[in-house]
Amino acid sequence: MRFKLIILAIFLRLLVALFLFHPDIKTIAFQTSFLKQGVVNIYSYLSENKQHLPLKEEFVYFPLTYFVIGGYQAVISSVLGDAFNNWLYDAGTVSTPNNPNIFIYLIFLKLPLLLMDLFIAFLLPQFFRKEADRKKVFNLWLFNPFTIILIYAFSNIDLYVVLLTIIALLYIKKEKIIKAVFFIGFAASFKLYPLLFVPFFFLKAKNVKEKILTVMIPTLIFVLTIIPFFSTSFINSALISGLSTRIFNPSFMIGFGESIMIGLFLLSSLFFYGLVINKKTTIFNYVIIVLFILFSFSHYHISWLLWIAPLLVVLAIKKPSCKWIIFIWALFSILIPLFYQDRSMTYSLYRIYTSWFDLLPIPFTIVEKFYDPYAIQSMIHSLLAGLSTIIGYKLLIKK
Amino acid sequence: MIKFTIISIIFILFIIPTLLASQIKMIPAHDQPGYGDMGRVPIYSIHEFKQYFISKDRNLVAIGTTIKNPNLKNEKEIKFNLFDGNNNLMRSVTQNGFNIGDGDFVKFIFEVIPDSVGKEYYFTLSSSSAEEEEILELFLTRPTDWILRYSYNEEIKEGGTPMVTFHKPNSRLETVKLVYSNLFSKLLHLNSDNK
Repeated sequence: MRFKLIILAIFLRLLVALFLFHPDIKTIAFQTSFLKQGVVNIYSYLSENKQHLPLKEEFVYFPLTYFVIGGYQAVISSVLGDAFNNWLYDAGTVSTPNNPNIFIYLIFLKLPLLLMDLFIAFLLPQFFRKEADRKKVFNLWLFNPFTIILIYAFSNIDLYVVLLTIIALLYIKKEKIIKAVFFIGFAASFKLYPLLFVPFFFLKAKNVKEKILTVMIPTLIFVLTIIPFFSTSFINSALISGLSTRIFNPSFMIGFGESIMIGLFLLSSLFFYGLVINKKTTIFNYVIIVLFILFSFSHYHISWLLWIAPLLVVLAIKKPSCKWIIFIWALFSILIPLFYQDRSMTYSLYRIYTSWFDLLPIPFTIVEKFYDPYAIQSMIHSLLAGLSTIIGYKLLIKK
Repeated sequence: MIKFTIISIIFILFIIPTLLASQIKMIPAHDQPGYGDMGRVPIYSIHEFKQYFISKDRNLVAIGTTIKNPNLKNEKEIKFNLFDGNNNLMRSVTQNGFNIGDGDFVKFIFEVIPDSVGKEYYFTLSSSSAEEEEILELFLTRPTDWILRYSYNEEIKEGGTPMVTFHKPNSRLETVKLVYSNLFSKLLHLNSDNK
């Protein structure tokens, strides 16, 4: 039975991987393709050669991403041949999805995602003792449309970070905090956000030595992986892009040029709550709450939702009374980006079917005819923040 | 949850594209050619652009091309006139430069011309009330099997603006069939001509 379920799960995943195409996967594949040509510092290479390259975007990820994805690509390029490289260099919005080999390319590019996705399915049951719960979480991870679409339509890098974070949390469960922070360090070397969890690992460390190590190890790993590439182009394209700045954006003025950053304010409140008031909350719960704060107070990319997805799957099994509220949270969180003024969030995903869908107005434009689409986004986002508060409250206040 | 997932995936992969395809009101006959390196021509005052082309399909309903509106200065009327091979005015559309961004793909939509397949037409594009500082610009590209020649300042040259003709589909069902036949023909030609 389990084998049949896995086959069915893989089949559904392959269908989505084949038919839905987000241009980011090709952009990253193009940028990381320079590794096999011997380019080590992608940041300076792209900024120096922008004029001659068909795709002008900067590489916004950290060096470890470049080496891991670039290394994998060096392997698959030998199988896929020159046609694959030609496709990577093709900047045409119509010709790229119309390439008859696109299905093969997408399968190869998304294959690591499939392997990690299945690996996560086998890891999540380790959060439970009861066999029934282990089965439930395995099935819920494999069979929910949210993660399948997030991973195979939108995701690129995020799943690497998610996998490493889950391994870290499993080590925490086994009370091996030092091993856990090693994984957090490597996760942060792909994307910065796991560093936000470090203060809560610090809270759970048993003695001074362990506390110092929980901060030192992930910070050192992160610093060591970025320091050889530290330059203006790296700072501009990777370090101060995306989340690292977005989470500090929402704020309110308190006068004389000063403001309170809501995200940072809530994160610090959570930390000091754990330090002073409630010392029993688990790191797993803290991590979920940190992510709730992040999603409630930042304009997020849809693929970021993967960061919290496996944790919510685990939570839905741990707290069955919360499963409907988690389901609604998932619906709202996916709905918000669909109203962004960004075609690649909706119809452009179907470019393999046809480019004619480009002639249709996106949800943002349709809504604009009747009402302010930003107001709708804001309303749903506020509802999401409300839901996050309630789930977060339930996690903190344990009776 | 397994059933819900299967139904959701089928809905996303097959029902949504079907619904989207059924909403398409016009289909481009071809992809837009690249802008090439043939420069640009300004349109203003008496400087009118005339483009000769062949309609590759029936039910011609719109013509689109990329127009530059440098610094968004043109806020004047833009007149589009479509003529048949016998110089008969077929359709006329007026737009305002105010609605055209710099480098926008602009569609001139008109009442459908049913028997347009394989016929030669020409259109003129002018902004007669615009001054020299309120120019609109058209990119130029080499001739294709539908872009024949253009006339500007009484000079006729091969090629023209990278235009696309749009055609009204016969039925929603036909559009849906076209979308899926395109998808599955691509799927069946895996690893064919590009490798």
